[in-house]
Amino acid sequence: MLRQTIEILTSHSHPQKRCVMGNVAIARGAIEAGVNGVFAYPGTPSTEISEVFKYVNDFQNKSEHEEKYAEQTARKIYFEYSINEKIALEKAIAFSIGHKSTMCVMKNVGMNVASDALMSITYQTIMGSLVIVICDDPGCHSSSNEQDSRYWGPMASVPVFNPATPDEAKEMTKQAFLLSAELKLPVIVRTTTRVSHSRSVINYGKINYENHSAKFDRIPEHINIPARTATAHTRLLDKLKSKAVLNLLSENSKHLTLKNSPLERGNLTQFGIITSGVSTAYLNEILHHHTIEDKVNILSLGMIHPFPEQEVLNFLEKNLKKILVLEELDPFIENAVRTLAQKNKNKSEILGKGFSVLIPTGEFSIDIITKVLEDFLNISINKEENRILDNSENYIQNLPPRPPVLCSGCPHRATFYLLKLAIPREQGELLMCGDIGCFGLGALPPLKMIDTINHMGMSISMAQGLYEAFHHSQNGKKVVALLGDGTFFHSGLTSLVNAVYTRANILVVIFDNRTIGMTGHQSHPGASQHLPKYHEIEIAPLLKGMGIEVVETFNPFDIRDGFVKLNKAMSHKGVSVIISKAPCIFLPDFKEKTNKKMKIVVDENLCNTCANHEDVSLACSRGYAPKNNLSRARAKLFAEVSIAGEEQLCPANICNHGFFNSILEGDYKSAVEIVRDKMLFARTCGDICHRPCELFSLQKEAVPIKALKKFVSSIDENFHDFTLPKSRAKNSASLNKSVAIIGAGPAGLSAAYDLAQAGYSIEIFEKENKAGGMVTFAIPDFRMDKTGFDFEAMQLKEIGVKFHFNKSLGKDFTLEKLSDEFDSVILAIGMGKSKTLDVIEKNIPFEKRLDALSFLKAFNTKALPFRDDIESVVILIIGGGNSAIDAARSAKKLNPHNKVIVSCVESAETMPAFAEEVNHAIAEDIEFIHDSFVTECSVSSSKKIEINLHSFVKKEFLKKLECNYIITAIGQQSEQPVFEKIGKEKIDMQGRIKNDKGFSGYKNIFVAGDISSGNNMSVIGAIASGKKAAVGVRKLLENYQHDYEGEKALEKLNNTPLQLSPPNESFRTKWGETRVNVLSEGQNLGRALERFNLYQSCMKCNHCIDNFGCPAMVKVNGKIKIDYSRCTLCGLCIDVCPNNAIRWEIVER
Amino acid sequence: MKNKINKILVAGVGGQGIVYLTNILAEAAVISDIPVSVSEIHGLSQRGGIVTAGIGLGKYNTGFIGKANVDFLIGLEPLETQRCIPYLHKNSSIIFCNYQIAPYSVNSETAKYPDVNSFADYLKEQCKEVVFVKTIPENVDSVLYNVLLLGRATKMMNFPFTAETIEKAIQNTVMDYHREKTMSAFRMGREYYSK
Repeated sequence: MLRQTIEILTSHSHPQKRCVMGNVAIARGAIEAGVNGVFAYPGTPSTEISEVFKYVNDFQNKSEHEEKYAEQTARKIYFEYSINEKIALEKAIAFSIGHKSTMCVMKNVGMNVASDALMSITYQTIMGSLVIVICDDPGCHSSSNEQDSRYWGPMASVPVFNPATPDEAKEMTKQAFLLSAELKLPVIVRTTTRVSHSRSVINYGKINYENHSAKFDRIPEHINIPARTATAHTRLLDKLKSKAVLNLLSENSKHLTLKNSPLERGNLTQFGIITSGVSTAYLNEILHHHTIEDKVNILSLGMIHPFPEQEVLNFLEKNLKKILVLEELDPFIENAVRTLAQKNKNKSEILGKGFSVLIPTGEFSIDIITKVLEDFLNISINKEENRILDNSENYIQNLPPRPPVLCSGCPHRATFYLLKLAIPREQGELLMCGDIGCFGLGALPPLKMIDTINHMGMSISMAQGLYEAFHHSQNGKKVVALLGDGTFFHSGLTSLVNAVYTRANILVVIFDNRTIGMTGHQSHPGASQHLPKYHEIEIAPLLKGMGIEVVETFNPFDIRDGFVKLNKAMSHKGVSVIISKAPCIFLPDFKEKTNKKMKIVVDENLCNTCANHEDVSLACSRGYAPKNNLSRARAKLFAEVSIAGEEQLCPANICNHGFFNSILEGDYKSAVEIVRDKMLFARTCGDICHRPCELFSLQKEAVPIKALKKFVSSIDENFHDFTLPKSRAKNSASLNKSVAIIGAGPAGLSAAYDLAQAGYSIEIFEKENKAGGMVTFAIPDFRMDKTGFDFEAMQLKEIGVKFHFNKSLGKDFTLEKLSDEFDSVILAIGMGKSKTLDVIEKNIPFEKRLDALSFLKAFNTKALPFRDDIESVVILIIGGGNSAIDAARSAKKLNPHNKVIVSCVESAETMPAFAEEVNHAIAEDIEFIHDSFVTECSVSSSKKIEINLHSFVKKEFLKKLECNYIITAIGQQSEQPVFEKIGKEKIDMQGRIKNDKGFSGYKNIFVAGDISSGNNMSVIGAIASGKKAAVGVRKLLENYQHDYEGEKALEKLNNTPLQLSPPNESFRTKWGETRVNVLSEGQNLGRALERFNLYQSCMKCNHCIDNFGCPAMVKVNGKIKIDYSRCTLCGLCIDVCPNNAIRWEIVER
Repeated sequence: MKNKINKILVAGVGGQGIVYLTNILAEAAVISDIPVSVSEIHGLSQRGGIVTAGIGLGKYNTGFIGKANVDFLIGLEPLETQRCIPYLHKNSSIIFCNYQIAPYSVNSETAKYPDVNSFADYLKEQCKEVVFVKTIPENVDSVLYNVLLLGRATKMMNFPFTAETIEKAIQNTVMDYHREKTMSAFRMGREYYSK
């Protein structure tokens, strides 16, 4: 820039060629004209003009330059970016009134703001030159409208120049300065994008160093009062008729005497074109390129207000048959030509808007003008030599669009992301009123956080207006206004005063990126960019001074801090303001903060990777989070309890992460399906699973998986929908392999479920008359929904599993026979026999004693040996396991007046029963005698049982008891003879079969459930071992490559004594205990659960792409890669990734 | 035989140094005493949008681009090169590189990035002089691919300037502290692809 700055300030007595932009040409024109001061507000396409003067100003004010560049610093040019165009023009007018030569620069819409100043000063007078440069934007490349600024000429009665090329732009700017000085009237130079932003070769000539010393003339013209305005108007219009104006009109109306042109040859054709601005440049190129200059006469107008009537009339009078007016946007010249022709009774046919493809919108192009010329001259312009490519449509159709995006590291993206998290728009209920600036890109995907964008500064007015409109219907709900720091000072501040004054309930978010970003990083009153000549105004105290109670400032990269402050501002009634403050990435302040010694890396093993199972062919009903659903992201940042997925693993390999997060997202159906991806029993596990996933968690609190399972499976519609597993079974290719499963308990059924879905044909042999095993017969009905269980179990029939009921191993068939007839056999017969105590067997008659299993089965089938309708009895239960508690609670259910006593050898802390069941029992008045065992017992004469209990630890007498019945619940044993062929050495101490990953080691026989040595004797233990046996079968029969995916959790279950105090009792009771009405409570389940973050890497994740959209993050083969050429090291993606896959890494040198 | 080059188009994505490249080319024209006009469209150039710049060489030629009126196309990104097809004609010369920058629509899988090889084959079949720079030496910073490609372009038959003119233009336009890097990328573009 330094060289260009020196060049532009250097005078040349012999013109020097420079290839510069139209905007730079205008700046050079002003410098050559001797401008003393420039006032501007940046705005594309005008910005480069003001930028020249910003650099000039910085350059001239460096003391070391004064000596070194004496010529270039001799005459100082004042420059400022005023806070808006109105102030810029007002200050420029004042500067001119002080006899200084002035220029004021803005874009098209800027004059709307400044017009108040323009419309009155013309009636008065200026003293030094005042040239206003307005850059229009046909086609709206970077503007909110394509208004035609030529109208300011007739509107304000000021001369307007309309250059066609950079060269003309420079020359006309110089003329404008002279004219303005002469008329003491502002003069407009109007360009369009294509003139301002085109570069071509111009001449740098002599600079006018004439000195304008400041003075003030105390004259009446400086005081505008109504008495003077009428005469002032007449004087103004007279100025436009002055000789100076007429001369310039003539000078700038050019008959293009092109080589071979009709005019040059004196051979007039009947076609004429009147053109102005960039249309002239298009026309010249086309006529020359196709050598058709001789076909048409051309009049090019450089000064368009006042209208060059004489010149146009001369042209009209050349006996032209047809006149075409070529101008972008409105028919400004066309209408003037038509009026002129009508006044002078000219008979030429005048064509303009509406002819051929000429319309008053958008900008022209080579193609448009070519077509218009063909139609006008009725010729075909030769295109033979350079033919368009064949079949090109095939290659340009459906090309991906490339809308602009916020830069990598942009603080606006950080703010938007924070707003997304803090002000959920999942339901889109909040109105977000945006404004002009870079941050308007937040309206586009993936951010989509803006509902309105209007003209500059409208956001705060829009918010307060909408608030009033909805005031009554929405109960005064807050409306949000979003605007940049530059816009805030430009025109937001006054609107905010109005909002405070009228007590609007709005939140104003100021995106303070310390600069006017969109137009090239200019300073403003809130961000002086460390320039000592400016006094910086801090926004927060300014607003507090206005009486705004909640004014919060945060750094948007500190998401947690921002979240708290945003919530505070949102909940405040009245005007609240958030200032999100962090520098634009193009500012040195940003670059200084980044740590170049670090880089950001993505761990491929965590990004879009399933942590739940390696075998990607296993079913996964977890869907991608709905776009806009940020519950995982919010959980990551703001949850009170963060738990790694691996702490809450399920032995049945259910993806608890997917399950939980689907619920967070409100997708309860998927949650049930995720359970059923791995097993049948969603509702049953919700009822009776002892939830190792929660108990094994090391945290104080765990995600209440069981309660949630109960909740989601209680929604009948979803519970009854087995479409997915059925279609999986139906669609899996049949393997033509058969497997026999002996025992229809949870282990056998679970094995059948997995194998059937994998394409096996399954037959289940069950000795009872229905499926379920211990679940059906030993778990008391009041603990679970048996109908639901039966429904779930019987889905197996629907997926093709054959059941053989009332078939006992050893009686109806042998293991050997099945082993021969089937490709594989899974033995899952459970431990069907209760253990007994000799002391009771010997001393108590048969009718007064029961074992737990028989008792519970009789209870469930209502076939009890003792009647429950007579007076209450005393029942003693021996044992401390779950069966003992089930039996005790069942005994109590028979008759609430029954006295039920549980005697067990363990203490309260060490008894194996689940704590919550024991708690229930205690609550039901069941008495516990810990550390006790029966030493003697007998039946008294009153037919009561008398028992002596001893302490198990101290081995001494404890107490004597009387009871009517005694139930032993000291565990189960297997019915060994039926499988003794497997080999004695395979049977463990408890009579269970030893195995290796479910394989018995004998023939093709696998074992599952309670009969499997070492397996946890619980529903979930049984389900897991059934699944594990199924994997074993698949390995044997189809060379399946993966181990059982739930092995880690199953092993933990088998080897870890359970914690006894349930970790999240309060939550469990809230959501877990009752099925009634849980759905209505469930409406708020998602937000209530957001206090939990259950995190784990997941394959169904597109969060950063769907919601963040950093251009440095690119998805390649399903994984995110960092594009280091774009990454600006802001590091926000690390907080954004719900998979925790992104982290800092030290750069190795 | 050399074709007359009236119009050069440079196409790419914001941040790739398209304006930088046109500055060098315009300066090369000034040095060669050829009248030059340049027109850029860069609504939101720094924000990853599409940027194109046309260069008109010769007295009345503007930098504005029309159908089938580009004689020489320099594509810094394949998708943006493909978007320029309507401006090409049978005698156009084209050089473009394989540095793909996925737009958001591709990243979010709402659109597919077109197949670069089939596009290159199509161009080769349609136009006489097509250079597809498929591989880029690893040690070149991606912001210098523009001059690297320029270096390779100087070896093309229809490129309107000599390497010496371009080097002089780089001397005149590029700021001191960038000049050395720019020059070496330009020379690498000439040398690397001659192997």
